[in-house]
Amino acid sequence: MRPARVAAGCLASALLGVAGCGGGGEDTVEAHLRLVVPDNNIRVEGVECAGARPFDYVRPGASFTLEAPDGSVLADGELPAGRAENADPSVDWGVERIPTVCVVELELEDVPERRSYRLRLPEGRPLEFDRSHLSADEPLQLIVQ
Amino acid sequence: MERVQRSTAILHGVMSDRLRRARVACALVLALAVLLPVGGCAGEDSGGEVDGGASDLPGAPPGGVAFRDPPVDAPAAPEISAELVDGTPVTASDLWEDRPVVLVFTASWCNRCADVHRRAAEVVDDHEGVALLGVVPRDDAEAAREYAEELELGYPIAVADERVWLNYAVREPPAVVLVAPQGKVLRGWPGGVETPVLARSLDELVQNR
Repeated sequence: MRPARVAAGCLASALLGVAGCGGGGEDTVEAHLRLVVPDNNIRVEGVECAGARPFDYVRPGASFTLEAPDGSVLADGELPAGRAENADPSVDWGVERIPTVCVVELELEDVPERRSYRLRLPEGRPLEFDRSHLSADEPLQLIVQ
Repeated sequence: MERVQRSTAILHGVMSDRLRRARVACALVLALAVLLPVGGCAGEDSGGEVDGGASDLPGAPPGGVAFRDPPVDAPAAPEISAELVDGTPVTASDLWEDRPVVLVFTASWCNRCADVHRRAAEVVDDHEGVALLGVVPRDDAEAAREYAEELELGYPIAVADERVWLNYAVREPPAVVLVAPQGKVLRGWPGGVETPVLARSLDELVQNR
């Protein structure tokens, strides 16, 4: 039953382009996440950034863990630097330094497949999302809280 | 007699204990003497000086260098009472009492900061009498020593509480602040400052250039 389920999962994965199959026989997924730090800090768009206070725990080298619903750790690592993005693209600010958010991208491969996930940062509330929210086409956006 | 013998025995015991301790101490000293010249201490040069520490504090401003008075309406610079990366206490008002001070808010984990810090130091190098003080957050104290050692700028680096960062409205490193003599904030550059801009600002402060 299990091999069939894995095979079905792999076929679905191949079709969807989202999930993979780990060598250990467990279904895995690729989680491409965009962590948006809503710090509205004044920056030049595109510069490398970390979260501005009070989100300064979102910084290069800060640890993160991806947990299953039962609390087991599925993946962990260190955050890369973020990039500053226009906090409100509907506004033409007309200047170089504009209100921005800091966006940190995480690409996690071979994550054991679970119904839902919880991303923990050094501080702040854990960011929860469902497996069904993951897509191969575009990263899942999570707002740091 | 018995009391004398007991006292002697106790004394002998104390002496033996002291002798043992002395031997252990000697062994430790010898071991350190052998190890120290080879290993040294991280962040310290052969003279025991720590990069970014007390040895990088500036002396009195050189004679013959004068600075313009700051605008009367310039805001007062919030005091920075902190410790340098080597634990030496530093009070920023002692530095800006009679000279301009460039503050560089930085952090070891900030990829852009080292470049901003280095460029600011190069500008200050060209302006005699101007001081530069790096400021790192409290939770970065340990890594800051390594940061200071890698940069080897020759300027002090202070480990400051969050209050200092808040007082200067620095939400994210890097940030550069120019403080005029007598402790008046002239300019702040969140995200860093271009070298010619900082150089021009210092040129305007130095009277005899």
